[in-house]
Amino acid sequence: MKSIDIMTIAMFVAMMAVAANITAIFPFLVFAGIPLTFQPLIAILAGAVLGSRRGAVTMVVYTIVGLLGAPVFAQFHAGPAMLVRPTFGFILSFIVAAYVVGKIIEKSHNPQLFTYIIASFIGLAFNYFIGTHWVYFAYVLGFNAPDQFTYGIVWLGMLPLLIKDIFFTIAAAVIAQKLPESVKRPFIGKGAVSH
Amino acid sequence: MLQNIVIGQYVPVTSPLHRLDSRSKLISLLALAVIVFLANEFWSYLALLATVVLFVALSRVPLRFFVKGLFPVFILIVFTFLLHAFFTNEGYVLFSILGFSIYSGGIEQGVFIAIRIGSLVILASLLTLTTKPIDLTDGFEFFLRPFKRFGLPAHEMALMMSISIRLIPTLLLEADRIMKAQAARGADFTKGTMKTRLETMTAFIIPLFVRSFKRAEDMATAMDARGYRGGEGRTKLRVLQWRLQDTIACIVVGGVGVVLAILRDF
Repeated sequence: MKSIDIMTIAMFVAMMAVAANITAIFPFLVFAGIPLTFQPLIAILAGAVLGSRRGAVTMVVYTIVGLLGAPVFAQFHAGPAMLVRPTFGFILSFIVAAYVVGKIIEKSHNPQLFTYIIASFIGLAFNYFIGTHWVYFAYVLGFNAPDQFTYGIVWLGMLPLLIKDIFFTIAAAVIAQKLPESVKRPFIGKGAVSH
Repeated sequence: MLQNIVIGQYVPVTSPLHRLDSRSKLISLLALAVIVFLANEFWSYLALLATVVLFVALSRVPLRFFVKGLFPVFILIVFTFLLHAFFTNEGYVLFSILGFSIYSGGIEQGVFIAIRIGSLVILASLLTLTTKPIDLTDGFEFFLRPFKRFGLPAHEMALMMSISIRLIPTLLLEADRIMKAQAARGADFTKGTMKTRLETMTAFIIPLFVRSFKRAEDMATAMDARGYRGGEGRTKLRVLQWRLQDTIACIVVGGVGVVLAILRDF
């Protein structure tokens, strides 16, 4: 791993921390008391721009930095206490999402915008699938939730967030395609600076 | 306001827990995270509570720091308590409220689960309150090192952690600056429909990325110019030391586990 990789990954981790707390910069992004986060967008971008391996490493480092006490998670949460929060699955799912998005774009020989959009949505699907199941099993196994707490209720709660994330995922795909030319360096495939 | 965010939660006081090696604290926390789930009836929960109180007293960290750590999960604890209080139908009826009957079993279950979550959070915050982030990353690097043969870059990951923590305030400052620059050019982030707001957001995200990559490249060049060549053969300024007290700490935690396993109701 070269120093440029170390720096870009560290930069993306810091970017995740800012994206998680974007409402501190843009207060209007709080909807009905729920602060929106840009985390899925950055996770998808990390995979699409840095590639599968470095994208996954970015998210692993992000998770560990947060667990070690830096306030990088949404609403400036931090520390190992995050492990017992039911939403921890979403943090873990970013690792998978970034890897999958990166892998799809690496495999495609001539990625077009459509490729980026498909890859991003598959990444988002992993994000929601793992995250929501984690929430469900955290309540059922961890906190002995009674029978009234059903699988359907969890998905119902995720629905409003899904609408916002569909918007952001399209945005992520568009940005991911433009970014390599904006920063004038290819990250994946022919002419990539380092691996 | 953004610049005032405290990175890390370390409280610099002297205590037996502060003096421990970060590795022994990491092992202990990992073990305790499992041990907490052993408690399942009155006496084992009491033993768990006593252990937590003992550790908190040993840390000599002011109590308000623990309260601050508990605050984010407070809603979760209250929610699970109410969930159990209202929906568990065991034991005898204590009283009825809003058409719900509150059973003694429900209250008991609720209190137990609240203790379980609470002690997990307190034990976890003990680690970050008594250990410097830099020691934690060093300890983490130590445990990651065996996985190096599977392609896990242990040293690089520890380095990335330290750099990214340092980069967060820089990036927040940068974001603030770009937002003001775009506002000066007429971008309005607070008005318009959701669609126009998202479009304005692109005028914020693209410059942020371009500048960040520029910065990353500058710093990488600086590292290369100073001859950085990775973890192989690199020495450390401060070396972690495993002492007798670390072995004792691990044995104590193991003892707690044995006691809880014995008290546990099978």
